[in-house]
Amino acid sequence: MRVRTASGDRLEPRNSGPKVETSSFVDVLLRRAVEQPNDPAYIFLPDRDDRPVSLTFAALYERARSVAFGLSKQGQKGDRAILLFPPGLDFIIAFFGCLLAGVIPVPMMIPRRDGSRDASAAILADCSPHFAMTRRELVEGARPDLVERFRSTGMDWFFIDAIDAGSAMPRDALSCPTPDDIAFLQYTSGSTSAPKGVIVSHANLIQNSEMIRIAFGNTRRSTYVSWVPLYHDMGLILNALQSFYVGALCVLLAPVSFMQRPLGWLRAIHDYRAEVAGGPNFAFDLCVRRHRSDQMQDVDLSCWKVAFNGAEPVRADTIARFAATFAPYGFDAKSAQPAYGMAEATLLISTGRRGAGPVTRTLSRTALQCHAAVAPTQGEDLQILVGCGRPLVGERLAIVEPEGRQRLAPGLIGEVWVAGPHIAKGYWHNREATNLVFRARIEGEDAECCWLRTGDLGFIGDNGELYITGRIKDLIIIRGTNHYPQDIEATVQDCHPALRAHCGAAFSVADPNGDEQLVVVQEIERTYRQQLDIGEILASIREAITKEHDLAVRKVVLIRTGTLPQTTSGKIQRSLARQMFLAGSLAILQ
Amino acid sequence: MPTGNPTEFEIRDWCIKYLARTLELPDQSIDPDAKLARLGLDSANSVYLIVELEDWLGLEFTPDLVFEHPTISDLARYLAGRVAGENGIG
Repeated sequence: MRVRTASGDRLEPRNSGPKVETSSFVDVLLRRAVEQPNDPAYIFLPDRDDRPVSLTFAALYERARSVAFGLSKQGQKGDRAILLFPPGLDFIIAFFGCLLAGVIPVPMMIPRRDGSRDASAAILADCSPHFAMTRRELVEGARPDLVERFRSTGMDWFFIDAIDAGSAMPRDALSCPTPDDIAFLQYTSGSTSAPKGVIVSHANLIQNSEMIRIAFGNTRRSTYVSWVPLYHDMGLILNALQSFYVGALCVLLAPVSFMQRPLGWLRAIHDYRAEVAGGPNFAFDLCVRRHRSDQMQDVDLSCWKVAFNGAEPVRADTIARFAATFAPYGFDAKSAQPAYGMAEATLLISTGRRGAGPVTRTLSRTALQCHAAVAPTQGEDLQILVGCGRPLVGERLAIVEPEGRQRLAPGLIGEVWVAGPHIAKGYWHNREATNLVFRARIEGEDAECCWLRTGDLGFIGDNGELYITGRIKDLIIIRGTNHYPQDIEATVQDCHPALRAHCGAAFSVADPNGDEQLVVVQEIERTYRQQLDIGEILASIREAITKEHDLAVRKVVLIRTGTLPQTTSGKIQRSLARQMFLAGSLAILQ
Repeated sequence: MPTGNPTEFEIRDWCIKYLARTLELPDQSIDPDAKLARLGLDSANSVYLIVELEDWLGLEFTPDLVFEHPTISDLARYLAGRVAGENGIG
């Protein structure tokens, strides 16, 4: 028997080796360990002078088997395990250890020290994990508060740095997941009070990995350099698991290293001759802002073939500035590759093709605000949209009128709906939201076909290019992270008694650099009008938002009682409040 | 006597001006004894603050700098000590 690998290479199976078929990510792991045991799979570059840490495919497999053995002694298949890791390779070992044990990993951001209202408590309540996986030194050193914080959940702590490396899971005891089995849960959707865990099956993960491979043109030689956190779906699927899927090396940097020294990311791309590296739009802006020619000496970026840009709106001026700044170092403008996706589709929904370069359309800004894609008629009334590429192989994409649910013709703006083998099974233990989001049907078309409603607005242009123009759902995206306005509004209203409950609006507006900035509009209780210490209230709001959401609020506007726009049923009209803020027509108190 | 090294006072003043500019607040609303979180400094902006301080003072700091010295006054006192120490004065 001969078996074709993902990267198209041929592989002779060993007599004693595992059956090599790609029906799950466990198969991918087994294959990599057999096929290229001594190739480096991951390298982590610590900050400053510490030496890089690396793992070969075989070493990763052995470490993951030890983890799996430990998990299977204490738990059973189908148990959930939250992954709480500082930057490094432990997350990867734990993730694959879970897969080998049939335990469902749940990536999670480590809750911040002084925030109490993040999503972590609600995520734990939602998926009731058996294990909390981390490093012993984290909870005994920097973050002892985590043990106290999670004590009431009854989770067992599983310290990956304390397991017996000598005792590995026997091969015949390794989990052999079917394509339909759950690979992991991804909690990036839903508000912090009601987070939604996307159920990603092995089939979803394999299918989306294959779609990404084709679109990016990846091979074993497609070395990655990534700083995007591994608990972020883009950091995990588009970076760390894609490189693994094709058998390439992934070099990892800590997110904070990148924030502090973004040019270090570019230098690592040069050092490792990386082909693929990307992140949210702000990452490219940050590189331009921090560009110092003395720190870029000898850097040659001509190896960089796919500079993907996703997870927040892709801006034409960002791409142009980045290309202009780094062209002298060999950066090819055609390697900029916009991408669009979300956890509900495993990750990727559309992107350009390797080397094709981004496509733009110039439209009337005022028409776009009314959700129409029309060529500009006046000189100043322009908005340049960057195309997010075309649908992926094996995927269907439709633009649908969101109320009547009729399919719209090319060129018309509607909600983006997606179908294909990468669309996740639904939300964990949430049938209502699953039916609403994952089981949509287009009016007058095959009732058997289920569509994913993305909540994003867009249109399909010439040549099948997808353009995203806005959102139906109220969602604030800052530095690639999603924030739900109702969470921020609740934080604001709880921080001071003078602030009226359910009478605030949070939204974002772009600053002159194009960065999205948070704005809060909030009504004051009538009874407090005479005794207001406005400075005190503003400081309390800033502090609460910083602590609970790790966001800097750019403008806080306090307004008169009863002047925030609401629907007749009392729903906050955030986009109208935003328009009034921009037009200066709010009834401001200060 | 000016030594060429920024003093604690100068560092405090610099931080106030920098934060007022970044957070778009009036200078006089920046209380050097308030917790930086109360001014609305999130983790991304604290990293940027650290980078600017590194550029200005020619020293390297860890990302925990702002956590360990949570007000502008604390920060200025610590940084003035580091600046003097690095130059063999303090």
